[in-house]
Amino acid sequence: MTPFSIDRRRLLAGSAALAGISALPSRARAQAGPIRIGTLTPLTGSGGPYGPVMVKAVKAVVDEVNAAGGVLGRKVELISEDDQTNPEAGVRAARKLIDVDKVSAILGTWASSVTTAVAPLCWESKTFLATVSGADAITQLPHQGYLIRTQPNTTLQGKKFGEFCIAEKAKRVFFLSPQTPFAKSQFDNITAAVKAAGGETGSLIYDDKKPSYRTEIDEALRFKPDAIIFGGYTPDTAVMLKDVYRAGFSGLKVAFGYSVNQKLIESVPAEVVDKTFTIAPSPAEGSKAYERLVKLIGVASPDPYTTQIYDQINLVLMAIAFADDSSGAAIKDAVRKVSQAQGGVKVDNAIDGLKAIAAKQPVDYDGASGPCDFDAIGDIIDSKFRYEQVQGSKLVLVKIA
Amino acid sequence: MLSYVIFTLTLCAIYGLLGLSLNLIWGGAGLVNLGLAGFFAVGAYASALATGAGAPVLIGWGAALVVGAGVGLLVTFATLRLRDDYLAIVTLGFAEVIRLVALNERWLTKGSDGISGIRAPLKAELGTQNFALFYLGVVTLVLLVVWALLRRLDLSPYGRALKAIREDQQLAAFAGKPVLRFKLQAFALSAAIAALAGALYAHFQSYISPDHFQPLITIYIFLAVTAGGVGRPSGAVLGAYAVVIFLEATRFMTEWVPGLQPVQLAAMREMLIGLALILVLHLKPQGILPETIPKAPAPPSAA
Repeated sequence: MTPFSIDRRRLLAGSAALAGISALPSRARAQAGPIRIGTLTPLTGSGGPYGPVMVKAVKAVVDEVNAAGGVLGRKVELISEDDQTNPEAGVRAARKLIDVDKVSAILGTWASSVTTAVAPLCWESKTFLATVSGADAITQLPHQGYLIRTQPNTTLQGKKFGEFCIAEKAKRVFFLSPQTPFAKSQFDNITAAVKAAGGETGSLIYDDKKPSYRTEIDEALRFKPDAIIFGGYTPDTAVMLKDVYRAGFSGLKVAFGYSVNQKLIESVPAEVVDKTFTIAPSPAEGSKAYERLVKLIGVASPDPYTTQIYDQINLVLMAIAFADDSSGAAIKDAVRKVSQAQGGVKVDNAIDGLKAIAAKQPVDYDGASGPCDFDAIGDIIDSKFRYEQVQGSKLVLVKIA
Repeated sequence: MLSYVIFTLTLCAIYGLLGLSLNLIWGGAGLVNLGLAGFFAVGAYASALATGAGAPVLIGWGAALVVGAGVGLLVTFATLRLRDDYLAIVTLGFAEVIRLVALNERWLTKGSDGISGIRAPLKAELGTQNFALFYLGVVTLVLLVVWALLRRLDLSPYGRALKAIREDQQLAAFAGKPVLRFKLQAFALSAAIAALAGALYAHFQSYISPDHFQPLITIYIFLAVTAGGVGRPSGAVLGAYAVVIFLEATRFMTEWVPGLQPVQLAAMREMLIGLALILVLHLKPQGILPETIPKAPAPPSAA
C-alpha cells in the first residue's frame, strides 16, 4: 500500500509542477506588470570600455521615464546582461533575456559577430533588436523587420573616405587595415568612389598584434600613394603612424575617429600624427538630445555607441506607447512611425515623445546620434560625418557634412 | 523558461562531448591539448561548409569526424617529439592558427563575417519549439553513445595501455607497447570527438564565426574536466554539465546582490567562476568523481 501512496503523491507533485510551468509563459505574456527591456552590451572582453557607459545611458532614460509615470501606465524594467564580446556567451545571455525575462526588445549589441549570432534568436522569438554594429551583412539577414541599427553601414563610411581623398586631390589611395568584418566592403567602397574620379587604389590587410609594420609600410609605399587610409584601432594605428613617419611619407593621412583620438595623439610624438585627418559618424553634437544625454549621464563627450543606445531606448519606449502594445512585433511595426513620421512633431527625448503620442500627434525623433531615420531593412538613411584634423596635438574640427 | 532550460541542456551536452574529448587525451594518454577550441572550430566549419555545398546534415557530421581526425593526426605528427608544457604551447598555437585561417581565408570561410544560415535539421518541419526538443534529444543521444564507448575503452586493455603511457612513456615502450601508435590513435579520436561537438554546435546555432572559437572555451572545458575528475568519462560529463549550469546560475545569483552596477555584476560572475575552481581544487583535488584504478586481479593461488 505504502508504495502506491508515494506514487500518487509524486504524481500530484509532478502534475502541479507541470501546471506551474505551463502557467509561466501565459502570465508573463499578460499585459499587466512591467514592460521589460534588455541590454546586451559588452561589459567584459575587448568591448569592455564601451558597454558600461552604454548601460548607464539606458538606465538613466528608464529611470526618468518611470519617474514620469512609465509607459502605458506600466513601469519599465531594465535587465542588463554581458555579452563578453563573444558570440557564444552572447547567445547564452540573449536566450536568458528572451526566454526567462521575456524582454520586448534587446538593445546595444556591439560586436558584429555577436549581433549576427543573436539576431536569429530575436526574429524567431519576435523580440526586437537594436544594434550598434557596423558590418554590412547584418541588415541583409532575413530579419523580417525585427532589427534596426543606428550605426551607419560600411558602404556609407567607405564612400565618405573615398570622396574625401578625391576632394583633397589624392588620386592614388592606399588602404591599410587589420582583418575586421568591414575591411573588405570598406575598401570596395573607397575604390568605387576613387575610381569614379579616375583614381587608383591598393590595399593591405595586416595582423593587428605586431610591434612593427616596416614591411607593410614598404609595400604600401611601393604603390606610391598620395593618400593612406588607416582602418585599424587605436593601438595598431599608433604603431602604423610612427612607421609611416619614419619612412618619410608626406602625403595625406586619413583615419577613423575612434582610432586617432585624443589618447593616441597624447601617446605619440606630435610630428608623427600632425595633419592626420579623421572621419567619424558625427554624434549630433550641439543638438538638444546630445546635450540632454551629457547632462543625464554626466559624461562630457559620450562616444558614438552611447549616443546611439540612448536613441534606441527612446525610440523603443515611444514605439511601445504608439502601438499601445509592448510586444516585439508591435515595436517592429511602430518604430518608423515615431522615428520619421511625415510632418511629425520634432522630439529629442522619450518623455516629450510620450506626451505627444498621448495627445495623438505624429512624432519625428531626432536623437543624440543623428536624425535616426531608417530604411526598409533597418539601416539609417542619412548620417552626418564629422571631419577633423590633428593640428599641434589637438583635434580641430574641419567640417560636419 | 522551458525553452531556456532546453537550450541550456543542449549546450551542456555539447560541452559534455568536448569534456569527453579532453578527458580521453589528457586523462587517458596524459597529453595536454590546449587546442580544443581549434578542433571544435574545424568540425564546425567542416560541417557548415559541407552542408552549405548541398550535402545532407548527417554527411556534414561525418565530414566533421573525418576532417577532425585528419587534423588531429596532422597535429600529432607535427608534435611527435614534444611532451608536457611544450606540447601544450604548440596545441594552443594550433588553435590560434585555425582561428586566423578562418579569419583570413574569406573565399572559404567568409572571414570575420562568419557563416550564417547553417541548416538546422528538420527545423522547418518541426517548428522552433519542437526542434529545440528534438535537437536536445539528438545531442544527448550522441553524448550517451560516445560516453558509453569511451567508458568501455577506458576499462579495456587498450585504456590500461594508454594510462600506462600517461604514467611513464618509456616504461610502457619497454613493456612492448607501441607508444607512438597509441598516441596517434588517441589524439585522432579525441580530435574527432571535439570536431563532432563543433558540428553539432554549428547546426544548433546556425551561425559560426572566428570569434566563437576563442581560447575561453578551452579554459571552460579544462575547468569542467578538472572539476568532474580527470581520467574518468563520467567525471568529464558531470563536470561539463556542472560548469554550464554554474555559468548560467551565476546570472541569477548576482540578481540577489543589491546596489551593484551591471559592470560590477559581470565582473563578479567571473570572480565566482574562479572561486568555484579554487574551491573544487582545494576540497576535491581529484574532482567530484575521481578516477578509479581497478584492483589488480588476485594472483592464482599457489599449489
